[in-house]
Amino acid sequence: MFYKALMLLALGSLSAHGASVCPATAPAGAWGLEYQVSASQSGAEPRQVQLLRRGAQTALYSPEHQMAEWWHFEDPKRPGFSRVFDQQQRRIDYYMGDLRALGVQAQQEEVESFAARHLLGQLTKQGSSPCEHAERYQGEINGVSYDLLWSPVLAAPLAIVTRKGEVERRWQADKLLGKDAVNARFATWQRYRETDFADIGDMENDPFLAKMINQGFIEHREHAVYNDQGQPLATGHSH
Amino acid sequence: MKKIPQVMSALGAAVATALVAMAADAAVLPTTQTDSSWYQDGAAAVAAKVAQARNTGTAKNIIFFVGDGMGVSTLTAARIYQGQQAGNSGEENRLSFETFPYSALSKTYSVNQQTPDSAPTMTAMITGVKTEDGMLSVSADSIRGNCLSSQGNELKTALELAEDRGKSTGIVSTARITHATPAATYAHTPERDWEADSNLTAEAVANGCHDIAYQLVMDAPGDGLEVALGGGRSYFLPNTVTDGEGAKGRRKDGNDLTAKWSEQFTNAAYVWNQAQFDAIDVTKTDHLLGLFEASHMQYEADRADDTAGEPSLAEMTSKAIDMLAKNDKGYFLMVEGGRIDHAHHAGNAARALADTVALSDAVKAALGKVDLEDTLIIVSADHSHTFTIAGYPARGNPILGLVHEPNDEAIAVNAATADDGLPYTTLGYANGPGAKQGARSDLSGIDTTDVDFLQQAQVPMGSETHAAEDVAIYATGPGAYLFQGNVEQNVIFHVMNQAGALGGSKY
Repeated sequence: MFYKALMLLALGSLSAHGASVCPATAPAGAWGLEYQVSASQSGAEPRQVQLLRRGAQTALYSPEHQMAEWWHFEDPKRPGFSRVFDQQQRRIDYYMGDLRALGVQAQQEEVESFAARHLLGQLTKQGSSPCEHAERYQGEINGVSYDLLWSPVLAAPLAIVTRKGEVERRWQADKLLGKDAVNARFATWQRYRETDFADIGDMENDPFLAKMINQGFIEHREHAVYNDQGQPLATGHSH
Repeated sequence: MKKIPQVMSALGAAVATALVAMAADAAVLPTTQTDSSWYQDGAAAVAAKVAQARNTGTAKNIIFFVGDGMGVSTLTAARIYQGQQAGNSGEENRLSFETFPYSALSKTYSVNQQTPDSAPTMTAMITGVKTEDGMLSVSADSIRGNCLSSQGNELKTALELAEDRGKSTGIVSTARITHATPAATYAHTPERDWEADSNLTAEAVANGCHDIAYQLVMDAPGDGLEVALGGGRSYFLPNTVTDGEGAKGRRKDGNDLTAKWSEQFTNAAYVWNQAQFDAIDVTKTDHLLGLFEASHMQYEADRADDTAGEPSLAEMTSKAIDMLAKNDKGYFLMVEGGRIDHAHHAGNAARALADTVALSDAVKAALGKVDLEDTLIIVSADHSHTFTIAGYPARGNPILGLVHEPNDEAIAVNAATADDGLPYTTLGYANGPGAKQGARSDLSGIDTTDVDFLQQAQVPMGSETHAAEDVAIYATGPGAYLFQGNVEQNVIFHVMNQAGALGGSKY
């Protein structure tokens, strides 16, 4: 009963906020969604994460950390990947061989959909939606209950609420970013000093890269709905 | 492979010596011992050593293979890996160069670091002088990243000496040909990162330092290198150009160095994919530039999946020798297995081993084309990695697999477990991406032989690091006998200089 009550609370929240962004058509060229990400765990502060899309390029950007994970799927079988560090104006580029050597297997549609595409086939589509141009899906997978508000025109979620036990996580799109903002950000990142991931181990003299070597890459998993292997957190297994 | 006359002439004597020795041993040793294949093979090996004649002649040609990051543990694991790929237990296998008659250990420390990077180590091997980390063929009197400080401190390389002697020269690498190891053969720079002009500092530009790609084409020694094959295309193309595989150039100066290559040299050709590489007629081409990737070439394990196709290290080596051997005065060729290092940095043993086997195949290809009477072949590494082969796996246990101890009943079923109750792999790293914060992952049910598996590591790091222990040197051909015992890494240059009469100094 307690679980059901929490579910209703969660769904009620989604209904209340689900329509703040609900486009009827996808903006031409480039667009982005800014999500508010929060968790019910004590001490977990709400954070922002942006999903930026332009053609075959998708980036997940954390304004708080000023870091992005930027995917290129011009050749879907051989994606390119960059970690972007705004503060240092640096970029780490991963070629296909680097991703393979690290065991990273990213699916284009999962990255582009904020890792929600896999949920559609496993959840039940609801008859009503808080948004005229969005579809609502609900259900439970592996003990996690989901409430998903999906935008068919963007092929991305407008909101996701998950609950496992007493822990609730929510991703809520509250702003649609226009093409100028997205293009400007991609152009800025393109100008950053780039380093191939394969070269990092040989460049311990570079203070920025030395930090990468010694401390690894900061994974902002609290923002992402996929893990550091590029797999949706709710599915898959990585070694 | 062509035969070494003095070794062949001694073969009959060697066999006779072995038989005499075994006959004498028979008087004091039981037949259980002397009939053993281990015993007989060992005796034959010693007899061959006894019969071995030193080739003190001059090396008309020198081929120097460098496995980047190919430490001794990598050689052992690759040897087993290759043997098991062929369906054998593996341990008895030998990489192509492990059959060479002479070997030594090389101390790899640089002037300022216990554990070095590829820049000072290749500088030591190619110039005879150790320098500081990050610097290519300039002395330690230079300051890293400071152009002015390096001027006047340039060190002449074995490749440049060969050019001065009228020999043909070449470099081959699976890494970028502007990367530290190949670059140290032809470039002089206080910063290995200056691969394109866009990497130069304002001070470097103001003081007239040129980037490494520019040096290869525009500041080339002698009449220019005859062969340069590998990766790094983007460092040769303007940033306004997108190459045939969709990558942008990195040059800000507008120079298309691939075009300059053809303008600069006679009978020159530039290729960037497998088909173009295959179509090159070596009889009509005197200067060949091949850039098969925007950055490093593919790992050998992934090479077949490349967009435009790219040649193997063995294919590049073979074509390079065909190109260089046209010169009656001989040649100097450096071949790097450049991606062994990168796979190790990623904590991915399978790719590191596959690329080590690719280097072994390249050596084999060279052996099939040269006469060891006048060609010195050296195989070594710049530095090692924190790569380990551990536990007590049974003979023939899959080298990439979990450790199964030599217990007849359990070997096929149960993996050995550590104190934490979890199984472990034979191969591991002291540090790197394969480490976890906290408890180790349970590898039960995980396919650790998968090419993408990251071996577990002790210390969590974003990139696995180099290691400081000695690496091996293997040699055959004229002057090879000079490699004995434990030597400083810069001794390699002096052997090449001596054996090849390169004129760097008189001995």
